[in-house]
Amino acid sequence: MTLSPEDDSSDKIQALAGEYVLGTLSAEQRIDVQKRLGQDTELRAAVDAWEQRLLPLTELAEPQTPTALLWKRIERSVKFLEPRAPKEVASEQPIAWWNLLSLWRGLAGAGLIATLLLGSMLLTQTAQVSPTSYLVVLVAPQNQAPGWVVQASNTREIQLMPLGVAQVPTDKALQFWTKADGWQSPVSLGLVKPGQTLSIPLDKLPPLEPNQLFELTLENPNGSPTGKPTGPIQFIGRAVKVI
Amino acid sequence: MSLPEPFFDYEACLIACSRGEQQALRDLYEQESARLLGVAKRIVRDEALAEDIVHDAFIKIWTRAGSFDPARGSARGWIFSVTRHLALNFRRDSAREVHVSEQQETALHDLASLEASQDSVDSFDYRSRSGRIYKCLEQLEPVRRNCILHAYVDGYSHSDISQKLGTPLGTVKAWIKRSLVALRECMG
Repeated sequence: MTLSPEDDSSDKIQALAGEYVLGTLSAEQRIDVQKRLGQDTELRAAVDAWEQRLLPLTELAEPQTPTALLWKRIERSVKFLEPRAPKEVASEQPIAWWNLLSLWRGLAGAGLIATLLLGSMLLTQTAQVSPTSYLVVLVAPQNQAPGWVVQASNTREIQLMPLGVAQVPTDKALQFWTKADGWQSPVSLGLVKPGQTLSIPLDKLPPLEPNQLFELTLENPNGSPTGKPTGPIQFIGRAVKVI
Repeated sequence: MSLPEPFFDYEACLIACSRGEQQALRDLYEQESARLLGVAKRIVRDEALAEDIVHDAFIKIWTRAGSFDPARGSARGWIFSVTRHLALNFRRDSAREVHVSEQQETALHDLASLEASQDSVDSFDYRSRSGRIYKCLEQLEPVRRNCILHAYVDGYSHSDISQKLGTPLGTVKAWIKRSLVALRECMG
């Protein structure tokens, strides 16, 4: 079997990441990997994946109750650090919205709205429901007001339906994005006009997953220049699997 | 052994830690310190040292909680990784300083030969466990499976394993390399 140089280097990164997580690298090699993790996104992704694969093996080590002193020591060290510790993590760079935990917490209510909406849809529609379907209610992040619904009665096509007419500045456009938990970053599903219903084939993307993220951001009229969301989120929600 | 509490919100604890809420660190400690200490002790092989590692791990969790990125893995996985890597760093760093006395060495060698003769037998009770990793481990030969488990759980280096099994270093390295490829293919 012949490998292209790319495969070869990707295999090397996988091997290095695997042995790093397994623990078999020497002290020097470990320091080298730990330094590279800051910049080398491919190595970091490979290490993260190995951490997840091997994590269950930690249960093979018998738990051991610490002495009462251990917590006291930790507490004392934390107090000593206190004046400067927690605040310094605030970074100069803005955090990408898909990494904002507080946002996800704020959206917890969307699941309930989804349930209620689905219930009402089931009552008003006689169309048959396929065995697996997904529903997403996209809400405004500030006030949780529902603005759009995404419906997927199969995993290959989705419909984006407006619940009202969103206000969009004339020199801006709404861009539709999705990201599943395992994806590195969101993927664009195109531009949407306020009040418009869109059917979007997902044939170039993996099948829909529970908890998959959908959102609309405000971008330039031709869409985000970077291929990733740059503007403020207008509506956001996660896919709920319905039976 | 108790299983991880399914409703314990590790992510919420890390966010609270990053806001400076000490109770969240305490909650994480109550939840996982015994398991983390178990993991560290297997690697550094000393109770007091293992407590030092867990102390350092909790300080790191406290100061670095804000850098935790849920896109990269679970919050629970993160605190285990922090602890394991501190223990592994310690063990690899100190490996260069450890001087085993001659007598101990003989004893270790005897023990190694004894264990080597048994090493086609499993050294770990992994069969009763459920999860993808265990199904994939099952597909490896027992001796190679033991290499992986001794490395991950016991923190053994290539040469530790080579000595333990009485197998040439190059063979051990090749086994581990191929086993990792097989595990990745099996687990995706």
